[in-house]
Amino acid sequence: MALPEIFNTIEQSAISVWIRDTDSLFGFYFILLFHTIGLALLVGGNTIVDLRILGVASDLPLKTLKRLYGIMWLGFGINAVTGVLLLTAYPTKALTNPVFYVKLSVIATAVVVMVKIKRRVFDDPSLSEEAMVARGKTLAMWSLGLWIGAITAGRLLAYTFTYLLYGHLGVLLFGLRP
Amino acid sequence: MVNFAHLHLLLNHFPVIGTIIGLGLFLISLFKQNRDLKRGSLIIFAVMALVSIPTFTSGIGARTMIKGQPGVSDALIQRHEGSAMLSFWFIEVLGGMSLIGLWEFHRKSRQSGWNLAAVLVLSLLTVVVMGRTGNTGGDIRHPEIRAGQGDTVTEGTIGSIVHVFEPTPDKFTQAMVGSKWWWAFMMDLHFIGLALLIGTVGILDLRIMGFVKQMPVAPLHQFVPWAMAGLAFNVVTGMLAFIGMPVYYTYDAAFWLKLVALMLLGLNVAAFYLTGTFDSVEHLGAGEDAPVSAKFIAGSSLLLWFAVIILGRYIQVLQDSISNGSN
Repeated sequence: MALPEIFNTIEQSAISVWIRDTDSLFGFYFILLFHTIGLALLVGGNTIVDLRILGVASDLPLKTLKRLYGIMWLGFGINAVTGVLLLTAYPTKALTNPVFYVKLSVIATAVVVMVKIKRRVFDDPSLSEEAMVARGKTLAMWSLGLWIGAITAGRLLAYTFTYLLYGHLGVLLFGLRP
Repeated sequence: MVNFAHLHLLLNHFPVIGTIIGLGLFLISLFKQNRDLKRGSLIIFAVMALVSIPTFTSGIGARTMIKGQPGVSDALIQRHEGSAMLSFWFIEVLGGMSLIGLWEFHRKSRQSGWNLAAVLVLSLLTVVVMGRTGNTGGDIRHPEIRAGQGDTVTEGTIGSIVHVFEPTPDKFTQAMVGSKWWWAFMMDLHFIGLALLIGTVGILDLRIMGFVKQMPVAPLHQFVPWAMAGLAFNVVTGMLAFIGMPVYYTYDAAFWLKLVALMLLGLNVAAFYLTGTFDSVEHLGAGEDAPVSAKFIAGSSLLLWFAVIILGRYIQVLQDSISNGSN
């Protein structure tokens, strides 16, 4: 398979090289760490909203959870930025891996569902708590499933890539090839 | 250089003797029908399960320090490792059951029948298998207590029964790393557990700290069983990962600091529930402020959980950061 030259160009850029090779504590693993933190905020927040809609902690007024959207969007923002930086460091590795596209699709769908829940459940102040729950049930189940899928796809990236860098096949953990 | 042998010898008292004490108190609480004593024994089981984690993980480092020395038998070490691999899971399940029992005390003021039976049976079995682990460990360096001659592996009555259930350490390790899909699955569950834990504990901590005060505290606390589920996922997958790559984790400073953070979180949870702090916040309604001591505990809880995430991520970075004596 002929690799697009652009991947090579990106990998040779100053920023890409820096992220991969720097001795500073703020390199690749620092960015990856914030990607995990963003995940914790985004998926953690969604989990609380979804579980509540599905009946856990039913004494908690559902309306109060609208505030969590700020935290969730913060997590999303952190992951969008760190995600772009990670992609800049290893474009070939991600963009030649079908699982990466699956991950992005699942995340996009999950975010669409997240926004739908916000609009249908939280944005109408005239709804009673029971009405809110009824409108959100199906979406909440989809949301949980999609975020689990997103985490799974993300985790699998480390075990399914073919190329580490342009022209360099990857060596995976335990020496096993994908 | 970290003295893993010393650490292992120090910590191993907890899972071996602590469970005996816990069992004793649990039995007394049953005879005397004393709820506080019963709760106390469940707390002891949970704490022993937590401390068993660094006890187990320090074993590899201890082994490295004495392996090959005169009078040290590899066969006796292997036997002890296999025994530990069995008893570790017993004590963790006992700890999990105890946490469920403690939750039942909170929600319904009494332990359910099934949980009582589970804790009783598990604690009896755990004391037996842990006793064997202690015994087989002692045999490694104490010829005076060995059943057999020299360093041949000789089993007594209990030993020969329990031995059937003990895994072979190398086979267990191979099973964990033989398939990358299994490893990927374990790591996947680890991240899902992380999301579950941070979401549920995080929101409670943020509320107590005063950040999302429109929520009443009591309903947020009802998410705790989900936090326990996340913790269970992560202790299981984390320890299976350790068994899969024991040397890798043993000589990694980030891994040990992560365990320190987890032990501190154990103290944090104890402080929250056992000092009356939880009682002071449990019924806070929308808009009400928590006392400073509660905010401190909640803040340190959040900080420590983020430390766990950070250190977990940096395990890969800090490989070989602890000397193994030969490098």
